[in-house]
Amino acid sequence: MRAFGNPRLVFTMAMSVLAFLYAPILVMMIFSFNDSTYTGLPFNGFTLHWYRELFTDQQMLFSIWNSIYVAVGVVIISATFGVPAAIALDRFEFPGKGVFRRIVMLPIVLPGIITGVALLGFYLTIHFHLSLHTIMLGQGTGLMCVTITEVFARLQQLGRSQTEAAVNLGANEWEVFRHVTLPGIRSALFGAMLIVFSVSFDEIAVTFLLTGRENTLPMTLWSLLRREVTPEVNAVASLVVVMSIILIVCGMYASRRQETSAGES
Amino acid sequence: MTSSAYVAGRGQAGARSARRLERRRLLFWLLPPVAWFTVFMLIPYGMLLYTSLGHVDDMRFIPGLSIDNFIRVFTVDPYLGVIFKSARIGVMTAILSAIVAYPLAFYIAFHVRSARAKFLLYLLVIVPWWASYLVKAYAWKTILGSGGILNATLQGIGLTDGPVRLFLYNEFSVVLTLTYIFTPFAVLSIYAQLERIPTSLIEAARNLGADGWTIFRRIILPISVPGIVAGAIITFSLAFGDFVAPVLVGGPDSVMISNVVINLLGVAFDWPMAAAIGVVIIALGLLLISASGWLEEKTQTRF
Repeated sequence: MRAFGNPRLVFTMAMSVLAFLYAPILVMMIFSFNDSTYTGLPFNGFTLHWYRELFTDQQMLFSIWNSIYVAVGVVIISATFGVPAAIALDRFEFPGKGVFRRIVMLPIVLPGIITGVALLGFYLTIHFHLSLHTIMLGQGTGLMCVTITEVFARLQQLGRSQTEAAVNLGANEWEVFRHVTLPGIRSALFGAMLIVFSVSFDEIAVTFLLTGRENTLPMTLWSLLRREVTPEVNAVASLVVVMSIILIVCGMYASRRQETSAGES
Repeated sequence: MTSSAYVAGRGQAGARSARRLERRRLLFWLLPPVAWFTVFMLIPYGMLLYTSLGHVDDMRFIPGLSIDNFIRVFTVDPYLGVIFKSARIGVMTAILSAIVAYPLAFYIAFHVRSARAKFLLYLLVIVPWWASYLVKAYAWKTILGSGGILNATLQGIGLTDGPVRLFLYNEFSVVLTLTYIFTPFAVLSIYAQLERIPTSLIEAARNLGADGWTIFRRIILPISVPGIVAGAIITFSLAFGDFVAPVLVGGPDSVMISNVVINLLGVAFDWPMAAAIGVVIIALGLLLISASGWLEEKTQTRF
């Protein structure tokens, strides 16, 4: 038996924490249906007005699309460069390994604003035009450590025996990766991608400094919240939560089916 | 060196060629990320350092080699004071997040049996991230404000006569909002640590007559320290560098270090000063990483 302690007490405490995590989200969802231009009590009545407003708001729809575009790019960057970094850290000893590890982890503890200032200065010096891609490169650098730590932790768990066996049997580096490493780290990589996507989708500090003419969703919301607040903001956020739940469930279902079919063959 | 052992029998030439092969395999993995971090981190940080040593004259950057900006960071108001204040808010957020996160992480690690339910709860922890950070911060304004839900409830049950203004626009509301937003990070890192604890350890303690509280205090809590530390470092850093919560729910004087940097860039056009603050914070960040690595090594348990 793994469980210990009063089950009812533990359950109650855990559920109170979940309630704490979801209370503001519920508030936001409820007020997205409130028939009032003011987010707050009293609740005047049910309306879909703010959702209609949202779907006619070209700028808002564009910024949602921009956010998805940036987040997908960031996931690709952080996986393409993060997985090799994790493999290098796991399998090899090399001079400067400690320094490399510290530099890789640095963006986790640095305020996004500092990362943003450094990159902005760099872009301005080399006359790099600010756009969605500059945001992508900045966030990719900042979020790579998520992929590296998640994949590195899994590689450490897996151990080296299978990799060494494959190397001894004459597999080249790509074959080792394709047939040994990747199957082992797949679920950790998927989890990391999920986290990277969600953090990128909501990132504001790096984006705030590196954005060009096109805005991501958080930037559009930020300007709305600073000027006049309409419950349209609540409607967008509610939709994003619902969409993310659907996406996560689909992703889970797909990976589960893939795993069971792999198990059968 | 993993593969040098199996060819050692072939003599020195074999060992040397194995080492060369090994180095090629290392470079294959190491070069792309090293190139990336050089271009997008080391060079920009180097330029930041260069900028911080110059000054601005008539809105034009004049390069130089002076440490005046760094002296200003440590002596002129408000810079050092704001750094300390951001650190204080960061520490409070880190402690509160750990306290709030622990019961949930504990529940998932020890009381949920099926892998499916565990994964579902894991996702329930992640999902609140997807709701916009800004909107969540704004939701707290709706809850805490003088016309907010909390005040309406308090007045409704007759605890207070008028609206209580203490809840919003002060350091308390900033810390509460930041704690709320960053608690998922703490849950995930504490959970990862608790999940590693073998069931046999708990069973052994129980067989030796320990009750639940003793198991928790003597075994589980000491083992969970690295997870708590890892989560606290992330929540501290995120709260320290935040610039949204002070604007949305903070009071008139609740400016944090990121707000100062933004003002230096956008209002004062003082790039060198902003760069100097950046360099100081990067140095602090490196210190924090080294300290956390050392702490983790010290407190981590091997099973």
